[in-house]
Amino acid sequence: MLLLNTTRDALLAPLQSVAGIVEKRHTLPILSNVLIEKQGDTLTLLATDIEIQIRTATAGHQDGSDTAITVGARKLQDILRALPDSAAVSISLDDKRLTVKAGKSRFALQTLPAADYPRMNLPDGDVVRLTVAQRTFKRQLAQVAYSMAQQDIRYYLNGLLIIADGGELRMVATDGHRLAYAASTLDNAVAQRTEAILPRKTVLELSRQLADNDDPLEVVLAGNQVVFRFGAVELISKLIDGKFPDYERVIPQNHPNMITFDRLPLLAALQRAAILTTDKFRGVRLVLGDGSLKLISTNAEQEEAVEELEVDYHGAALDIGFNVTYLLDVLNNLSSEHVEWRFNDGNSSALITLPGNEQFKYVVMPMRI
Amino acid sequence: MRLRAAIVDTPYDADGLRAPPRKIIHCDCDCFYAAVEMRDAPALAGRPLAVGGRPAGRGVIATCNYEARAFGVRSAMSTARALRLCPDLVLLPPDFERYRAASRQILDIYRDYTPLVEPLSLDEAYLDVSGVGRCRGSATLMAQEIRARISAEVGITASAGIAPNKFIAKVASDWNKPDGQFVVRPQEVDAFVAALPVDRIFGVGKVTAQRLHRLGARTCGDLRAWAQADLVAEFGRFGAALYRLCRGIDERPVNPARVRKSLSVETTFSTDLAGLDDCLAALPALVADFQRRFARLDAPAPVAKAFVKVKFADFTQTTLERSVTAPDPALWPVLLAEAHARGARAVRLLGIGVRFAEGQLEEGQLALFAGDG
Repeated sequence: MLLLNTTRDALLAPLQSVAGIVEKRHTLPILSNVLIEKQGDTLTLLATDIEIQIRTATAGHQDGSDTAITVGARKLQDILRALPDSAAVSISLDDKRLTVKAGKSRFALQTLPAADYPRMNLPDGDVVRLTVAQRTFKRQLAQVAYSMAQQDIRYYLNGLLIIADGGELRMVATDGHRLAYAASTLDNAVAQRTEAILPRKTVLELSRQLADNDDPLEVVLAGNQVVFRFGAVELISKLIDGKFPDYERVIPQNHPNMITFDRLPLLAALQRAAILTTDKFRGVRLVLGDGSLKLISTNAEQEEAVEELEVDYHGAALDIGFNVTYLLDVLNNLSSEHVEWRFNDGNSSALITLPGNEQFKYVVMPMRI
Repeated sequence: MRLRAAIVDTPYDADGLRAPPRKIIHCDCDCFYAAVEMRDAPALAGRPLAVGGRPAGRGVIATCNYEARAFGVRSAMSTARALRLCPDLVLLPPDFERYRAASRQILDIYRDYTPLVEPLSLDEAYLDVSGVGRCRGSATLMAQEIRARISAEVGITASAGIAPNKFIAKVASDWNKPDGQFVVRPQEVDAFVAALPVDRIFGVGKVTAQRLHRLGARTCGDLRAWAQADLVAEFGRFGAALYRLCRGIDERPVNPARVRKSLSVETTFSTDLAGLDDCLAALPALVADFQRRFARLDAPAPVAKAFVKVKFADFTQTTLERSVTAPDPALWPVLLAEAHARGARAVRLLGIGVRFAEGQLEEGQLALFAGDG
């Protein structure tokens, strides 16, 4: 029974959109599979890891009969990738085997029934909808996502907090040592302030898939789930059920000292100083004196790196340590020419912001070196 | 570094000189969780009280007070059984936030005396007070003062053992429990350990104790009749440790920076378990024990892996690991079934545990949110 006549590219693109979340190992064998559903001229591909589900629907597939089946996602993807770019591909289902034909190549793959495939459905209930340009959302994610915790026992930190409040959309991520905050303006204000914690995997998948253009992204928050719709993709994700720490409390308001840096020279100096740090100890000392900032790193072999930058600073001397990764992360993920650095003393946090911009804040705690 | 290999009577330092005896205090709070609960709700004092899980959810007792112990209630006992023994038992769910706060207060008291504090769990720690000048240099007086301060500042009682090493200090802290202390002076170590039953040695569980009894060794003194080579032949690497411990020798330093790499529990069964079903039936007790110990860790590092260890009747053993972010009760049976299938023989030992992620908590890094590690 013929399911589909198409080309390699027309099938590979939507398959790659959904197959990224398929885990290599699980307890349920069917979760290695992708669901292929043909109805009328619409082809739907769907994959899930139970926490996230991604679906793409593309129209214009005239040939073939209506059916639904599941087949190994990674195998199908590997086969299509290995075919010539615009090869004609036909897919048919014969006696529980899915046959993929292209030119003189033929693959017979084992299947599992579509009825057994787990699906996530949106619950009814309070729904908050937002529409933003994909580019805006993607950029905002990039400004904070690197600060998310990874496998932290405080599970609510292994994700990203989004807050829709009036005409503003805020994102916050923290691993307990540093925190990134970014805000953007919504075209249409939301009636009710809403908060949700997106799981880390969902955030990374969105960052990967959103486009750098002004096409719309629709975000629907309902109960303990969220739906993202963009282009031909619908991504449903569970939300992390937990209480995110009070981020406003740790953003310093009154740090007395401020220095403006050129971002790229500071980044380059830190990258050089980082060469002599180790995986186990990433500490770099910042020694601030009259008109000069020294970045100093040493390691267990008594090697030492010293970088000196001229700065417009004439206040009290300061000697403060930081994990250099936390500084490189923020400087790498910004695109402005200048950054502003506010600080108090060697035991309090530093605040990094963009000149004339209230919409980005990065707070990092020092290290005792 | 001390020379360790062949010297068993007295430790020597690097210059070949006899090192002076150390002064180690093992401090152990009395029925810690229950004591915190009684402190915060004085009406509960005098009534049998336990902290633990509900009987319906296969809960176990984490700690109980002495009134409950009079009824035969013990920690690690199933809550259902505890309630049968003592129907009037007041059962409270654990509140680790309050226990951690009390534990931090107690650690601060210890650190007033020495920076060499090695916490074992929320309610237990070793202190090395060798060379500390306070209390005229008397470890006995320091222990007394520490216990008095815990009582006055934290509102609970603690017991202490004072000895030249960790092994004996830990045994001694049990001697005059609760709210007491016991000193084993260097010249008393020999006689004290000789009279000690073999099962007081750490690492000697029910099964090893039975084996030692069959071999005619009931006390550490009996065990001294054995040559080191014979103990090693009988017990492997553990035999070498037995040889030293039964003579009261334990040179492990008090390590304040000890980073826990893993946490595990295991049981050797007196009778081998015949098949997978028996193994699965033995699992809940092991899981309950593991969870009790996991909860007692102060600010554990992130979990990286869960593992199951199976030792078969023919002494071959296998360990199966899986990457996880938290110990998940549903995972243990899956791992056990998979590990068991590798040998598919009778089983003499089962263990479960987790390994912690390394290098995540950097020393010196300050936290954004108060109350974090």
